[in-house]
Amino acid sequence: MSAARILVIDDDPQIRRAMRATLTSRDYQVSDARTGEEGLEMLRSAPYDLVLLDINMPGIGGIETCHLIRSSSEIAIIMLTVSNAEKDKVAALDAGADDYITKPFSMPELLARIRATLRRLPQVPGQADLRALISKGVQIDLPSRQVTVLGRASRLTAKEFDLLSYLLARPNKTIAHRELLQAVWGPDYGDELEYLRVFVNRLRKKIEPDPSEPQFLVTDAWAGYRFHLPQ
Amino acid sequence: MPSLADSAVPEPRYLSRRLGKSTILFAGRILTSLGLVAAITILLFRYLHVNATTAGFFYLVVVLVIASAGGLVESTVASISAMLCFNYFFLPPIGTFTIENPQNWVALFAFLFTSLMASQLSARAKRRTKEAISRQHEMEKLYSFSRALLLADPGQPIAHQVVQRVAQAFDFPVVALYDRGSGAIYKAAEIDIPEIEGHLREAALRSTTFRDEKTNLTVTPIRLGGEPIGSLAVAGSSLSDAALQSLLNLAAIGLERAISQAAVNRAEIARQSEELKSTLLDAIAHEFKTPLTSIKAVTTGLLSDPAHDLRQPQRELVTIADESADRLSKLVTEAIQLARTEGGTFRLNRGVHFVSSLVSASVRQMKSLMDGREIIVSVADNLPPVWVDADLIQMVIAHLLDNALKYSPSGSPVSVSARQDDGRVVVSVADGGPGISEQEQSRIFKKFYKGKSDENLKGTGMGLSIAREVMSAHGQEILVASQQGKGSEFFVSLPVARGVSGK
Repeated sequence: MSAARILVIDDDPQIRRAMRATLTSRDYQVSDARTGEEGLEMLRSAPYDLVLLDINMPGIGGIETCHLIRSSSEIAIIMLTVSNAEKDKVAALDAGADDYITKPFSMPELLARIRATLRRLPQVPGQADLRALISKGVQIDLPSRQVTVLGRASRLTAKEFDLLSYLLARPNKTIAHRELLQAVWGPDYGDELEYLRVFVNRLRKKIEPDPSEPQFLVTDAWAGYRFHLPQ
Repeated sequence: MPSLADSAVPEPRYLSRRLGKSTILFAGRILTSLGLVAAITILLFRYLHVNATTAGFFYLVVVLVIASAGGLVESTVASISAMLCFNYFFLPPIGTFTIENPQNWVALFAFLFTSLMASQLSARAKRRTKEAISRQHEMEKLYSFSRALLLADPGQPIAHQVVQRVAQAFDFPVVALYDRGSGAIYKAAEIDIPEIEGHLREAALRSTTFRDEKTNLTVTPIRLGGEPIGSLAVAGSSLSDAALQSLLNLAAIGLERAISQAAVNRAEIARQSEELKSTLLDAIAHEFKTPLTSIKAVTTGLLSDPAHDLRQPQRELVTIADESADRLSKLVTEAIQLARTEGGTFRLNRGVHFVSSLVSASVRQMKSLMDGREIIVSVADNLPPVWVDADLIQMVIAHLLDNALKYSPSGSPVSVSARQDDGRVVVSVADGGPGISEQEQSRIFKKFYKGKSDENLKGTGMGLSIAREVMSAHGQEILVASQQGKGSEFFVSLPVARGVSGK
């Protein structure tokens, strides 16, 4: 976990300095960029494990930067927002972020979120038999996180992959929101229904032949989600 | 006979003004037709010496020519004069109006009947043509008027433009419009009919049409869906009733469009100013929170980093800075919330929500401020979902919880509960604090009001006034019940979402 490489993208120099100092003292390797453009350039030239991305920046802005990063990378992204409003949080997750944190935040809170985002779900043995899906034109290759639906290929981000594999390990069984959140994000989570809503939508776009009429990732209203595996 | 053909379609606007001239013209046309009959009589009688039959046919031809070129009056005058000449000069005994042979009586009346009939037919055909042409002109004018209305400049009052366009398109010297909505009267030009304003108001009020033959003034109500929305006065021209009705309908549509456009504009301006306010507040929040973020990163980094083992006095100083940063952040947040909600002009982003998730989200927001204290949550089962702005209601409950924690001794219980009551869901937050005196209860919802004790100084004086603004925007209320020494309880009511069943 230590020595994970973090890229801080924020237009405020004081925040970059504070992040660099505090995160370095926790044994992370920290680099920073002043703008979305610069951050994208740095991501192309060196490998990173996680991006801390400010939402409100001059130039291409945080949301657009997040979209651009996601178009070519499955790197972990935490967005930094000032607003506490639901729509801004959903906008950040929709753009492909794995998590967000509201400014001003405390270091323990940020560190917890970094750990939760970098945390990988241990692979459960006895994954579902996916042959039934292949016959329906959906191919999920778990080791490479590659999904092919009706010839359309895409890759899952780490969190999307964890969410999917947790559901896939328990096919045809409704998993409650809280259980899913705590399993995939960590024990500090449990009430963040918007995370699930956005992530399930993102997964549907990647694995469902028709995302508006999901066949596999089924919502059980007010209860949770279920992976429907055709027998 | 070009003079006759040219004046076949009289120019409407000159009709009354050039009455004298048209009388002269009319007399000239009658004299011309008499002259023609006289000329042919002289030609036939003096030079050609034709028999009666030939003369009769010649006269018929002349009458037909006059009828086709002129009007009914000229051709009738020509018929009768031709009949008299025919009798006098060609039917024996010649030189008298008496007729010897009874057969000639028949010939004479056959001649008169034929020529009068020809005059009638020709005049009728001409009238039809004239009508068709004037209809066509009216249609063209209506078309150009409707086109002008469509292209009306939204920057100017539409009623003014309607008047201008009517005057231009129909060449009326007198046009006036009364807009009942604004009470204003618009005129195309100066009008020297003093009573016109009274007629306009009367027509719009009673929904009746007024006509004055002398000045050729017509005042008609402009109706939309049966309701008069104004009236239009025109004078100086004859317009067919059908055309006038079409004109009024167009004017009504034009006015109505302007009214709805104005309403849309007002709403748009309100929306834009609301948006501008929101954008400004977002920018202010960002500007304040950015430096606070680096301060918090530093203070919490120092306090939590195992590598920096702070000595007690240093730890105390950093803790003061950290708490002050929290307080400043809270002040900024609440000042912006207050600015956003004050005046109740903000827009609610309502949705169907479960009270249990609203309450648990608010409790979650409190986590960092709870200092190890417990919040007892008791939300009744089977509560119906509510129709609220989730962000704002969570904020209200969080403010109440914050107050409850702040104004009660540590270790005393704070509880939040929700139950259904009379078609609403009531959320209440109770504490075991010192309570609020009755005089104070009326003041606590006022902006910037803080209690006098030391404890109260921790607050910003904004939380409850934000809560009240948010509740009143939802059409709901916030109430307090408190007994000194026994703690306080605040109640907010939430509207139940209709048409959605409970859990």
